[in-house]
Amino acid sequence: MLGQLILSGLATGSLYALTAVAVVVVFRNTRTISLAQGDFAMIGAFLGMILLKDYQLNYFVMVGVVVVACIGLGVLVERVVMRPIADSDWLTLLFATLGVYYILHGVAGWLWGRDTKAFPVTFDPTPVHIFGAVISEGHLINMAWAAGIGLVLFIFFKYSKQGIAMRAVTDDPETATMMGIPVRFIVTLTWGMSGLLAAFAGIMIAPIIYVAPEMMDEVLIKGYVAAVFGGLYSIPGAIVGALMIGVAENLAGGYLGSHFKTATAFVMIVVLLAFRPQGLFGIQKRREV
Amino acid sequence: MSSQEKGQNTGQPTGARASRARIEGVKRRFELQNWIAAAVVFAVAFFLPMAPFVEGWMVGQAALVIVYIMAAQGVAILTGYTGLVTVGHGGFLAIGAYTAALLMKYFGTGLVVGMIAGGLVASVFGCLLGLLFLRLAGAFMAIGTLGFAFFIGTIVNNVPIFEGREGISLPRNHVLGLEIGDFGFYYVALIALAVITIFIWSLVRSGVGRAFKALRDSERAAESSGVNRLAFRTLAFSVSAFITGVAGALNGLIVNYVSAEVYADIWYSVDLLLAVVVGGSAMLMGPFVGGAFVVMIPFFFEELADFAFILKGVVLIMVLMFAPAGVVSLVARPVRALRRRKLVAAGDRLGQDDVSAQSSAASTGGDR
Amino acid sequence: MSHLRCEEVTVSFGGVVACDKISLDVEEGRIVGLIGPNGAGKTTLFNVLSRFQQQDSGHIHYRDQNVDAKKPHQMVNLGMARTFQNINLFAEQTTLENILIGAHHLLGNPFADMFSLPGARRNERKLTERAMEIAETLHLLDELDNPVKNLPYGNQKRVEFARALAAEPEMILLDEPVAGCNEEETGEIKNIVRQVNEEFGITIFLVEHDMSMVMDVCDYIYVINFGANLADGTPAEIQRDSDVISAYLGEEVA
Repeated sequence: MLGQLILSGLATGSLYALTAVAVVVVFRNTRTISLAQGDFAMIGAFLGMILLKDYQLNYFVMVGVVVVACIGLGVLVERVVMRPIADSDWLTLLFATLGVYYILHGVAGWLWGRDTKAFPVTFDPTPVHIFGAVISEGHLINMAWAAGIGLVLFIFFKYSKQGIAMRAVTDDPETATMMGIPVRFIVTLTWGMSGLLAAFAGIMIAPIIYVAPEMMDEVLIKGYVAAVFGGLYSIPGAIVGALMIGVAENLAGGYLGSHFKTATAFVMIVVLLAFRPQGLFGIQKRREV
Repeated sequence: MSSQEKGQNTGQPTGARASRARIEGVKRRFELQNWIAAAVVFAVAFFLPMAPFVEGWMVGQAALVIVYIMAAQGVAILTGYTGLVTVGHGGFLAIGAYTAALLMKYFGTGLVVGMIAGGLVASVFGCLLGLLFLRLAGAFMAIGTLGFAFFIGTIVNNVPIFEGREGISLPRNHVLGLEIGDFGFYYVALIALAVITIFIWSLVRSGVGRAFKALRDSERAAESSGVNRLAFRTLAFSVSAFITGVAGALNGLIVNYVSAEVYADIWYSVDLLLAVVVGGSAMLMGPFVGGAFVVMIPFFFEELADFAFILKGVVLIMVLMFAPAGVVSLVARPVRALRRRKLVAAGDRLGQDDVSAQSSAASTGGDR
Repeated sequence: MSHLRCEEVTVSFGGVVACDKISLDVEEGRIVGLIGPNGAGKTTLFNVLSRFQQQDSGHIHYRDQNVDAKKPHQMVNLGMARTFQNINLFAEQTTLENILIGAHHLLGNPFADMFSLPGARRNERKLTERAMEIAETLHLLDELDNPVKNLPYGNQKRVEFARALAAEPEMILLDEPVAGCNEEETGEIKNIVRQVNEEFGITIFLVEHDMSMVMDVCDYIYVINFGANLADGTPAEIQRDSDVISAYLGEEVA
């Protein structure tokens, strides 16, 4: 039973991980905690559903279109909302993304209705046996995707020119500008990446739960908490945090009852922050958040 | 140092003093005008329910708006004046509401006792939270407070005495033995709001208020000036929680029903913070404008909830872009400009954006 | 009479020793300076003395009372105020408000203060009066309602000073008081330092790079290099000290 809970927890956690990573990436490069992350995914999910249902598009074509659309959405938000207020304090930036959240919520509800809908691609429930525990094939595929994306990101940030430039912008935007790094472009790239990650998150999560304007709310919050776990600064930290939350949730649900599931994430974070204010992997020096 | 200053030094110290006295005079006159304006508004609010076209349910709604504003004031103290972002004040509302409700249900206490008890119990929790989150700042503090609200919600939902899921229904309310309805609640809420607003006005101008603002603007400098970070952070939390706790008690007792869903909902706390940010986090009237805004939206958009969302988002972004200090700051601008003109005329020397060009030219150091 | 002294203070950050058994003694009523080449450990020592940084070993005594366990805000109660190198004012607040914060520890009962009880109101009037006097002494009377961010740099330095004075300290620690100041502003600060020391008897301890200012104003000087004591003496003695001169070779001696 324990193994089962842990395995399911890892699967759930890997779903949160994509969102958590996106939150970290956006924060690192722009000092913005993006609450719009979840709704980018939500829009992607709706779009994917419509493309599959009403236009009978091939699955992979659908993925491509949704990815492009979400990247576009991210870039649009950056241009229209975030750029004019780029020099504001973090609370203003956060609330601007909250504004985007409300707008996307309203638009989705208006265009497509607030009732819950099913995503046309059924989640593959074929059980796979691992170490005596059972997990559905669909979950495994998701986990593989998430791991793959995580790996690609890791390589990107560590070795690619753009990735290194992005990290320079985080650490010292002024010097980065002086060294010829196009900070504005990096910021746009960041928000595009946020859209990219959201697209995948939406497409992966929708078959498991449902499609509706509020579908990503819980995932967003848990992704946020997971990101804070990692100190809001480290991608591996966010992933670890997401996995930990997934596992802890499931354990709490299994042993204490399902109403304690959502609370687990918060208990964890409050306890962690009380003893380690910078998060698990957060940097030691006191940053101005 | 300009020759103007040197002249002041060697010449007439009394000249500077006299100018100072004039300046203080202008400031007092402006304050008096503010007080008169506030008194007028209060009088209108006081007599409005007696107007012929006003119906009972309107008054009840108004009472709830007042209570919401009060809750937002609690948030403003912590976030606007002390710089600690809270997305968890729903928790204090719940504490206040449940304290008042349980006291009424098991001990038959009335409205006033409920309010005070609700505030006190909430402030105890606030104090604890301040201590627990001593080392947090910024986004981490926000997450921590969010966790707190969640925690309260979970407790209330699962510990039997709170009857979280079904909620506690309460009998009719009494104040000093008299039964009160919508009108009674309205007046109690209005008076409570007035008292609390006056308290906040006093607090902001006091040494304690200065300490809060110092912690907000620069913790290091505050500490080097003698501000005990632990003590004053905790105090800020306690005062903030007290006010929101009172609002919670009022809320629960007005509605005659207390259940967990409302307060444990994260978005409730987010909305409170939103109200403060939109209205103006460090302005006395900020919670009034912002609170009214947040409460009015669902009221006017019951059918078109989607447009309510969109409007909320658009207004929020507009405010952040064009009036980051809050809507009230926009309105306060002409008033402040007028005040500045009068002060400069009385001899005060205000900065670059002041109306008199001469003062700016006289000050040195254009090279900084 | 020793006002502030530290004994064998050692501080290291992750393997790098910033301060190596530094000892110094600031005599009451004097103006004492601390100088040293860049990277000598002055800032770290300053932060240790003002209790913003905990030392790894060694002791700090304020008037023969061990203050190792004291927090920065408690030092103000004991009579020690400090300023910051690149000024650390509350930018959006007015000059008057900034000065008044300095008097925080003279507030009295916080609850009486919050509710503006009569006693607190009287105290507030007294503190405001005091703040205005200080502002007058430092030629800031005209700027009282101006948000400090609007003030020229030199004035901001004086507001920082005023804030320290508002605490009615027995001793003020100045962190590079003339950093970034032009000649005129430096002269002003020197005058203020002397005035504050002579008129009010306040002990001054300062860390500074500007040699001529230090030589001009200080009664006694400590020199550190590579985190350790190098020499100490009167300005005349220091100027002749061969160790000091060679330590500064390659550095501009102003």
